[in-house]
Amino acid sequence: MKKRINFKDDILLGNKSYFILAILIIILTCLSPIFLTQANLLNVIRQVCVTTIACAGYTLLLGSGHMDLSVGMILMLTGVVVAQLICNEVAIPIAIAIGLLLGAVCGMFNGVLITVFSLPPFIVTLGSQYIFKGLGYVLTGNVPVSNLPSEFVEIGQGYVGIIPIPVFIMIGTIIIISFLLSFTSYGRHALAMGGNAEAARACGININRVRIVSYGVLGACAALASVVQTARSASAQLSAGQDLSMDVIAAAVIGGTSMKGGNANVWGSLIGCLVVGIVSNGLNLLRVDANWQIVAKGVIILFAVILDATTTRAYEKISIRNKVEQQHKEEKNGN
Amino acid sequence: MQDIALKMENITKAFPGTIALKGVHFEVRKGEVHALIGENGAGKSTLMKVLLGIYSADEGSITIGGKEIMPKSPAEAITAGISMIHQEISLVPTMSVSENIWLGQEQKFKKGGILSVKARNKATVDLLDRLGIQLSPQTLVNKLSIANMQLVELARAISLNSEIIIMDEPTSSLTNVEINLLFKIIKSLTQNGTSIVFISHKLEEIFEICDRVTVLRDGEYVVTRNCSEIDDKQLIGYMVGRQLTARFPKLEAEIKEPVLEVKNLTSTGVFRDVSFEVRAGEILGFSGLIGSGRSEIMRTVFGLDKLTSGEIVINGKTVKITAPSDAIKYGIGMLTEDRLRTGCIYQLSVMANTTLAYFTRLCNKLGLYRKSSEKKAFNEISSAISVKYSSPKERIAQLSGGNQQKVLLLRWLLTKPKVLIIDEPTRGIDVGSKSDIHLLISKLAQQGVAIILVSSELPEILGMSDRIAVVREGSIVHVCDRADATQELLMEYAFGRK
Repeated sequence: MKKRINFKDDILLGNKSYFILAILIIILTCLSPIFLTQANLLNVIRQVCVTTIACAGYTLLLGSGHMDLSVGMILMLTGVVVAQLICNEVAIPIAIAIGLLLGAVCGMFNGVLITVFSLPPFIVTLGSQYIFKGLGYVLTGNVPVSNLPSEFVEIGQGYVGIIPIPVFIMIGTIIIISFLLSFTSYGRHALAMGGNAEAARACGININRVRIVSYGVLGACAALASVVQTARSASAQLSAGQDLSMDVIAAAVIGGTSMKGGNANVWGSLIGCLVVGIVSNGLNLLRVDANWQIVAKGVIILFAVILDATTTRAYEKISIRNKVEQQHKEEKNGN
Repeated sequence: MQDIALKMENITKAFPGTIALKGVHFEVRKGEVHALIGENGAGKSTLMKVLLGIYSADEGSITIGGKEIMPKSPAEAITAGISMIHQEISLVPTMSVSENIWLGQEQKFKKGGILSVKARNKATVDLLDRLGIQLSPQTLVNKLSIANMQLVELARAISLNSEIIIMDEPTSSLTNVEINLLFKIIKSLTQNGTSIVFISHKLEEIFEICDRVTVLRDGEYVVTRNCSEIDDKQLIGYMVGRQLTARFPKLEAEIKEPVLEVKNLTSTGVFRDVSFEVRAGEILGFSGLIGSGRSEIMRTVFGLDKLTSGEIVINGKTVKITAPSDAIKYGIGMLTEDRLRTGCIYQLSVMANTTLAYFTRLCNKLGLYRKSSEKKAFNEISSAISVKYSSPKERIAQLSGGNQQKVLLLRWLLTKPKVLIIDEPTRGIDVGSKSDIHLLISKLAQQGVAIILVSSELPEILGMSDRIAVVREGSIVHVCDRADATQELLMEYAFGRK
């Protein structure tokens, strides 16, 4: 009996993203002849890479029980800075390193404000995104940064064999974040904090430090995503990252990471990003009006949130049922 | 024969794992002040929550003013003529006194769909005058002192014209002046036929104001007596009158040097000037009523709460503890009071929950760890007590309360503590797990761990401890040896009757 419940837990609730992805692929294959072509699929994957790189960091942050609405603007600001550095003949690796550092600093800025003034992350990042956005506009004077050297553009547009370079960067990021979560004390502490911050503190975990680092990691991921994005479009656009935070929250949640914290499924987030990317690709292929696509995006985000809430509740119900059953059994044995 | 205002018969209420009320009887006459007393967890608040419709009873009946009724919600209870003044303030701080008193009763002051503030304020002045409370109806509640807030709560309960008013520790935040006022109000209310249920830990107040008293113990009805016919010794006897049948697995342990010494620990407004020491191999019991400050003292020693002044000495050296990580570093572990809120991390597995406090020690300098070393640590420690789980990877949320508590104990065992603080280790868990945990605590003491056991259960304290400290209103009022301690003695100190 117990086995069966756990089995259902794992297959249906834990891996719901795979089912959603499979269903989407089947529907789109039926509706559009272009969908399952190599060109289109590569296109989807390249689009998804940027979101996924940011989403990997976001998954960690959600797992630690936090959120960041400014992630899109961190992406835009770091993109602009990296592009300007390169245009001013700073060596590409150094420019990228500075970009990553800047991203981490922006993230930690949020983390420090949240920690020092004990503020809700929602409000802090809602506000701080305007700082990042404004700084980006100030630095560029409202003009996109272009004329980037081809070596840099190669990062976003190049291929190794038939596989685009951004795919390697994306997989690399996922592996690093998974590694942090599975093999370091920091990762375990972050998940413990996300599950129950008070209990984590009582276990001697410095939750303030863990929180700030988590925001820093997300910032660095956003900066890495911005490098790929800038290289792919061969320019740093001021419109970059506008819908990013909502996309990554939806993707992470579809991928099985709870908005309540305590678990983080990075590979699931990749699937979630594919779902979000394929929906928007499908809508394009089906020639849905751009304005209606915005509506569709809202539907996806709300769908993801509802899905999260209902699966969490389903989990809770199952565990309460198991617990009551077990307690009955123990009482019987005890008497 | 006086009229019966309220009759609760054979009330039974079970929660998963425990039975909170077992066939309880409670009867209040019209116009009397009836005290309801008992130790922590005796079932007073559960009984009142059943009466107020917050919980529904599994069995039993309630008769109010001759009509049988089983309130399903607080709104139904109010309609039936019952209201309650809670211990915690439940006013809306940003609203005025007048708005708060008539909250939910605005209908009374509506003229053609529009609320007449003037009529409401006038009603407020009338009510407050009648009660002798000097407050302006327009004052915002957040500008009031706690005592005055209590009086507003009282006025609100009275404004409902309830037949029965329940007062839960109504004097806890009042000064003598307001207590006298409260008692005057109570007397005038009862003269008009209102009945009062008076819940209090202060026995002298019960003898001063109450007509009869009902005692509950361990969820069971004990006795109802006229206050004029008994004294406080008898009353305490009723509260603790259980037979100490449960055997506790107390093992012989050699008590050695002091490990933890606490000197003049003070946290302003919470506890003051607390000093005690605990020795290797010793179990020091901390008794006292809930809210007496015993848990707060322990939270402060462990670095969860800040201290105002005082000294903590470990193995003869004064140490500074500002966070639990410091305490752990010095070899202190703490099983916190609230398994739900500060113990379990429900999304993590049994293994991850077990290794959490020890985790950094499993990692190398770079913060990396091997799954195999975590498994090894878990396997070594998990044999200390039998926990039922299907796999170490099972989420702790799936376990029963008793098993969760055992996992949390393992968490602290793994850190190899020199001092282990254990706060309410067996609250709300099954009998089997309880004795497993008691045995483990005993064994730990035998191995030379200094143990501080905080508990509301007197048999547990008496059965397990070598020495017992009683905390009352933020101070240690008595320390005695195991041999000298009795339930009555501890309760007399806890209630301040000695």
